[in-house]
Amino acid sequence: MRDMAQAEPRNHLEPKVLRMAPVLRGFFWAAVGFATGNLLTLAVDPFRGHPWVTEPSAVVGWVGALMGWLLGVGGYEEIILPLFGFPSTWVEPQDWRRYFGLSTNHKVIGIQYLFSSSAIFLIAGLDAMAIRYELMQPSMHFFTYSGQYLTAVGVHGSLMMFGVGTVAMISGLGNYFVPLMIGAKRTVFSRLSGLGHWLLPAGALTLIASPLLGYWDTGWRGYEPLAMQDPGGMVFYYLGIFAMTLSTIFTSLNLATTIIFYRARGMTWARIPLFVWGILTVSLLNLIWQPEIEMTFVMALLSKLVPWNFFDAIGSVETYLSMFWLFGHPEVYIIVLPALALWNEMIPVMAQKNLFARDWAVIGLIFVMMLSGLVWAHHMFTNMRNSEMFPFAFFTEMISIPTGFSFMAAIGTLWKAKLRLTTPSLLILMSLFNFMIGGLTGVYLADPPVNLQVHDTFFVVAHFHYTIIGGMIFTWIAAMYYWLPKLSGRMYNETWGKILAVWIFIGFNGTFGQMFLLGLQGMNRWVPAYPPYLKSMNYEVSLFAFFLGVGFIGHAIHIIWAWRKGPLSSENPWHARTLEWMTSSPPPEENFAAELEVVRGFYRYDHDNPSAYFVKDKSEST
Amino acid sequence: MALAEATVFAVIWAIVTAIAEIVFRRIKDHSMYYTISSQGHIALSAFNFLSSWLIPIFTFMAVMVIFALVRFRAPDNTPRPSPVQTLRNKWYILLWVGVSFALNIMFWLHPTAVDLETMFANWKQQQNQHPLIVNVTARQWEWIFSYPQYGITQAVNAQGLDELELPVGRPVEFFLRSKDPFHSYDIYADVIHSFWIPAFGIKEDVIPGETRTEFLVPDHVANYETSPLVRVQCAEVCGPGHPYMEAPLSIVTAKQFSQWIAHQKSLQAQGA
Repeated sequence: MRDMAQAEPRNHLEPKVLRMAPVLRGFFWAAVGFATGNLLTLAVDPFRGHPWVTEPSAVVGWVGALMGWLLGVGGYEEIILPLFGFPSTWVEPQDWRRYFGLSTNHKVIGIQYLFSSSAIFLIAGLDAMAIRYELMQPSMHFFTYSGQYLTAVGVHGSLMMFGVGTVAMISGLGNYFVPLMIGAKRTVFSRLSGLGHWLLPAGALTLIASPLLGYWDTGWRGYEPLAMQDPGGMVFYYLGIFAMTLSTIFTSLNLATTIIFYRARGMTWARIPLFVWGILTVSLLNLIWQPEIEMTFVMALLSKLVPWNFFDAIGSVETYLSMFWLFGHPEVYIIVLPALALWNEMIPVMAQKNLFARDWAVIGLIFVMMLSGLVWAHHMFTNMRNSEMFPFAFFTEMISIPTGFSFMAAIGTLWKAKLRLTTPSLLILMSLFNFMIGGLTGVYLADPPVNLQVHDTFFVVAHFHYTIIGGMIFTWIAAMYYWLPKLSGRMYNETWGKILAVWIFIGFNGTFGQMFLLGLQGMNRWVPAYPPYLKSMNYEVSLFAFFLGVGFIGHAIHIIWAWRKGPLSSENPWHARTLEWMTSSPPPEENFAAELEVVRGFYRYDHDNPSAYFVKDKSEST
Repeated sequence: MALAEATVFAVIWAIVTAIAEIVFRRIKDHSMYYTISSQGHIALSAFNFLSSWLIPIFTFMAVMVIFALVRFRAPDNTPRPSPVQTLRNKWYILLWVGVSFALNIMFWLHPTAVDLETMFANWKQQQNQHPLIVNVTARQWEWIFSYPQYGITQAVNAQGLDELELPVGRPVEFFLRSKDPFHSYDIYADVIHSFWIPAFGIKEDVIPGETRTEFLVPDHVANYETSPLVRVQCAEVCGPGHPYMEAPLSIVTAKQFSQWIAHQKSLQAQGA
């Protein structure tokens, strides 16, 4: 049964060579789609005659552009033709070109996602540099209009959350490594997943293009009713995030299904690797909460276009806030859960020591997943009913307990270990440190009286950057170094890796550590101009921020260099026991030379027996 | 000797924690931030209480990371199994889970539950003490303060800019509304603002279509010169004018306040 399911799903009867590169064709078809949608809207617009592009026509045009883009990158041959009963004529080139078109191979998709989210990280990071440059002076000196600054803040936040935070580890590393780690040849919904990647650049470009329709100033949360009176850029905020979250939903649906149905023989629930548990819990969170925010954004968009007064003084303002944070708080756990899982994935390998209390580490992930939907209103202590503060303070405190289980397992594994101090190990120790600060400052924010003082200040900005950069980004970079030999067959330079790790650690703590103090001294959020007494510390923060930015670029250059030119690495340089190391690097098209049978868990180092065997002859194992 | 490593760790941790606590107490004496209201003191004492309990947890992690770097580090990067192989240790797990439950429940009861009770009780009490009523109207982008008990519709300074002045030691009740009195026909004009006086330790969002109240007692004579935290600041993004949505605040003696009221009345009479 499984063999049939994993067989290649289609035959190429009439392979076709495209005349135009898929991405180029995508852009071209997108332009045609936008023009068509826009003109159609203008044709039926009873008030036409003013601008050529209006908010409604931009929305319809955008839908046309997205369709054109998705069909152009390969959706037409690979999805539409089979849908109508024709054989697919799509052929993936076997060279670098396959990364620039629709692919059904999970490893190609994973690398596409890693590339796209790194590019988004670069753009949103440069955006952050512009923000920090502006804040070096207490008055406007770089941006020319404060709406421009606020758009920069909103684009930075939205791209980082929806294009990097929820993407790099889940869609990037998840797509590449989850099938390998569970011994699968492919994923269940490969075509959906391949199409899903192309939603990400579409969404990111939409957000980047949003200032063309006017500076929007709500930040990444799109608070109503401000969004209703904002210029048209707001429309591209909703649409861009809609595309990016849809991409995440496709990934989550595909990976969760793959984890449930495509595990190798013997890969029982008790043996599933930690990272796979992280992706499974996060996929469930995504499947619950990403549709929720999409629905909210559809309502907000219609409320703006029609207009319907859902979320202004005539409707209910606080309903939007609740609906946003109902997704918004699980979102931060969506970002950080894979990181928590990866600590305990990598530490046992680097220490060559049994993972301590594996069951507790997994239970922690599951309970964080379940509790994360019960804490949202702590973002609303300044506007909620007083009677509601108490229960939300309770759940907010309680979620630190299962989060702590990941620390408990990590420390238990580190204790009396002989840890190889490689770049990934160093970055994970730094991530433990940073995330601890992020978590502990969350305890202050969970207490309503303290929250009423520090809410909406730089204290909060520092807090969530500690959890997201300190927790997730540091771990992402650690994982990139850890899996680089698998992705490329090559090794990075240990000295440079460590120098750059220390570099970003100093830059990061210098930047965001001081932001806590700025917040306590009265620096509020979303301001390109602030009282002059805050200047000196802001100036320092900016210098550290530039230092941090250079460090991230350094890591990117180092990783790209090692990927292409680094010294060749051995098959299993870390002596890891998970399945992805049981194949060549980079892995072949079908991942493994033969079917695998898992015979024991992956985190035991007190014996030398392999954790899985290749099933040479199928009759033997049955 | 099984616990030798743990003892070394515990001693270092205890020393580092003691030093950190002493340093924190010295900083605390100068106050973490400037606070001059009844509610601000509640928040500040909660902040300090939490800090002194969170310091040991922070130092635990910081010392653990450095300890792992120094004591648990392999001499080189050749893969060889760790000599100690632990799968679980029920006392460590029990202690960890027990302590994290105990601490979180404690934080929830104190400071959270205790302080919320005090806060709400204070509000009730201040409501019954015939507080000074200040109507605060937030619009894009201005704070308008009116004193209905004195018939003052918009308090302004010599330059005609809005200002807020409060007598020291007298309970104040703020009524917060987001509406634009000059464009009352425009239903899209009202957005969320957030009424924040950093020195008072209060922040309350001002929601269109709703009226919110805030109570407090300012307990020091102060103004922006005393501390830049003595100001009214919008804390929720409300459009391009958001950074400029602030107003000066002074807390004055009862005598100065009645003089100021008389001055405002004469200004208003001139205006009318």
